[in-house]
This record gives sequence, structure tokens and C-alpha cells, in this order.
Amino acid sequence: MIAPRPYALLAEVTYRCPLHCPYCSNPTQTRNNQELTTNEWTRVIREAATLGVLQIGFSGGEPLARRDLSDLVRAAREANLYTNLITSGISLDEDRVRALRDAGLDSVQLSFQSDNRDLADEIAGTRSHKRKLNAAAEIRAAEIPLSLNFVIHRRNIDRLPEMIELAESLEAERVELANVQFYGWAFLNRAALLPTREQVVRAREIATAAKARLAGKMDIFYVLPDYYEARPKPCLSGWGQRYLTVNPIGEVLPCPTASSAIPTLSFENVRTRALDWIWRESESFNRFRGTEWMPDPCRSCPQKEIDFGGCRCQAALLTGNAASTDPVCTLSANRGLVDAVLHDANASTSHGHWIPRVDPIR
Amino acid sequence: MQTSTIAGAARPTLARGVRFQTDSKTGNSVLLFPEGVLELNETAQDIVTRCDGRTVSQIIQALAEEYDVDPEMLGADVREALVDLQRRKLIEFK
Repeated sequence: MIAPRPYALLAEVTYRCPLHCPYCSNPTQTRNNQELTTNEWTRVIREAATLGVLQIGFSGGEPLARRDLSDLVRAAREANLYTNLITSGISLDEDRVRALRDAGLDSVQLSFQSDNRDLADEIAGTRSHKRKLNAAAEIRAAEIPLSLNFVIHRRNIDRLPEMIELAESLEAERVELANVQFYGWAFLNRAALLPTREQVVRAREIATAAKARLAGKMDIFYVLPDYYEARPKPCLSGWGQRYLTVNPIGEVLPCPTASSAIPTLSFENVRTRALDWIWRESESFNRFRGTEWMPDPCRSCPQKEIDFGGCRCQAALLTGNAASTDPVCTLSANRGLVDAVLHDANASTSHGHWIPRVDPIR
Repeated sequence: MQTSTIAGAARPTLARGVRFQTDSKTGNSVLLFPEGVLELNETAQDIVTRCDGRTVSQIIQALAEEYDVDPEMLGADVREALVDLQRRKLIEFK
């Protein structure tokens, strides 16, 4: 099939991060000893712009761990890209914010673990909450548009009203309340992170009410807990359709979690191939592009152009086959795998221990 | 907000963090903002390029002259487009 043009590049500039969130979607086993250089990233950014990309998100790990981040933002602006920084905010002080703004940064998405400092610091595995509050104030002072992101899970979902209040008090333009998705460390820690049905029902009511109350003032994006849904999420708006990710070592991925979730697929590297070729011609981008690859029940499903068969990474993680229907779908023969996990999550209201994320081996 | 409630004296401008530029791939105009991209049709482009400090009445007048039509006919469509852009938080009224 003919490749469409991509709209957004997720630039995972490093896997290093000062936080240890147990729901991190980064690979649990990876190396980080050959990060792309400033020059290599600059080339990737230009190639992406030529390919049609209009937006870039700088992510990680913690992108601020790279001292050349302002240079990369400047390169992106010079290539006419809209620049987003996706950050924990640790080390985002006045000087750093100013440097990024002067480089042309368009917007910041700042993550929070909770509204409550003790819980937030426990989840992050380090004292970080207060520094995030400071970062938010600096971003505001520099008049850069601010989005907050809360990853929602079993331990913090009951504090949704307070988290929304925090976003209001920090005068964010937008808040993302994202139920945890199970990839990377989150997949490993699923039992400790998956909320109960009762928690999910309540959270949805709160988010819906807040959305109505704050309409016109602050946008609320509620990311559904897909295990509790009957139909899968329209992952990436389809594989190789609108998005691409370049990871810290230069691998080009249709989805940021694909390299760890789908071991049977090999991914091309910007060090050895042009981005344009990888997007259009590579096996990894073409494998699940369009609808030809689909098995039944997707192949004959009227929803196939709506949800694209769901998430390839989730299919791989749960069934061992990336080409199967996302097991979240109740039409999937594998839905029982999801139901069994939900059954365990609802058997008690206590919460188990999780394994904190650690940085990759250097 | 109802379309009729936009005052003629209101001054629409691009909201903070929204960028207007030409898509080099298509030659069309786009609005870029934190969550995405909005591709503008010709009419929307004509409106957005005039959200530069002018009032709604002035924008309608300018477009009526450009298209050589009666401003009365154009007013409702322009207001509707502006309300839609405002609802998406891409423009704001001053």
C-alpha cells in the first residue's frame, strides 16, 4: 500500500530519567549506550520535516537529561515544526525554561504523579512533586502553553477530583487524565496498577462532570482504561499512518512500545537508512499498514476503519502474536485473557507491590 | 456561545500556542497547536489570516469586498466559522 504522509514525530531523545514511575512505557530491558548525537538528531528532524511531519514531541526518558535539548528545539523550529516538550519537570528551572523558550519551544506537557506530595513522591520513587510545582510556575511565567498529564492507576485514581483541582490552580490550558496503558514497566507491574471496576466507573463520572464544568476554561482529555472497554482503542490512528517514533539509539518505530512488545519485528535505524525510505519501504512500517494484514474477526468487521484492529503491541504482549485482534475486543477469541486479569484485579481492593523503573544499562 | 452573540466589535486573534503556517507538502494553510493539526479550507484560511487585531465587523467587510458579495449574506457564515475555531480554542476574542 502507498504510504501516507506522517504528521508527528515522537523524538525519544534519551531513556535516562530521574524518576522511577512503575507505569513507565519505556522498555524494561534496553541499552542506552549509543544515544544519537546532536548532529544526528538535527538530520533526523530535517528529514522528518521533508517527509511531511508538522509536529515534534521531545520525550524520553526525561528529555531534559540531554544538555543539547535547546539546540534540538531550535533545529525543529528552523524546520518549521511545532515543538512540544513532554517532561517530568525535574531540573526545569528559570534558566532552562528561558533557554527553551528562546529556542522557540511552543508548548510543554508536564507530568504529575498525584496532587498529594507524599503519594506523588512515592509513585515517582524520588522527591519530585515540589520541583514540579516550581516547574509549572516557571512555565507559566514564560507564558508557554501548559498541559498537565496524570497517569491514572489503582493507587491514585481515587484522587481524581483533587488532581483536577491542582491543574486548575496551576492554570493549565489542558489536562490529560490518562488511565495507565500496559506496556513496558506498566505491563510488568500490571497487577499493582490496574484499578477496580468500581474505581473506573467513579473516575469516569468525575471526569465527565469536570469536562462539562470546565468547558471553555480548561480542556480535559480522559484516556479510557482499555481493559474495561468492549472495543479496542484506535491505536495510532492506524499503524504507519500519521505517527513515527525515533528512539534514543536511532531506531525508527511505528509505535514507541513496538521495539519491546514485538520482538519478531526488526526495526531500521536512522544511522543506516534514510527516514523517508524507512517510512515508505521498510518491513516494520508496512507489516500492519492498512487493513490487508487483518485476520478475522477484524477483516469482516464494520469497525475495521475505526479502530484498525486495536493495538499491535497489546496483541503481541497478551497473545504472543502481533497480528491477532487486540484481545480487548469482545469479538476476539482471546478476550478471556483480559477478563482473567480483570477478575484478579477485582478480587480485592488492596494493592500489591510494584517494581520501580530503573534506567537502562549504559 | 451562539453565533448571534459574537459582537461585531469583538477582535478575534489566534489563541496562545497556536501557529498559522503553510504546509509545504500541500501548499495549504494549517493551524498547529499542542494536540494536533487543523487543515484549513480556503474560506477558513481567508478568515484566519484576518484575525490580526481587526474586529469581526471589519473582517466581514473585508471578505465581502474580496468576494464581491453583500456583507449581510456573509456575516452568519463567518461568525459560525469563528465560533467553531473558538470552541476548539484556536482563536480567542479580545
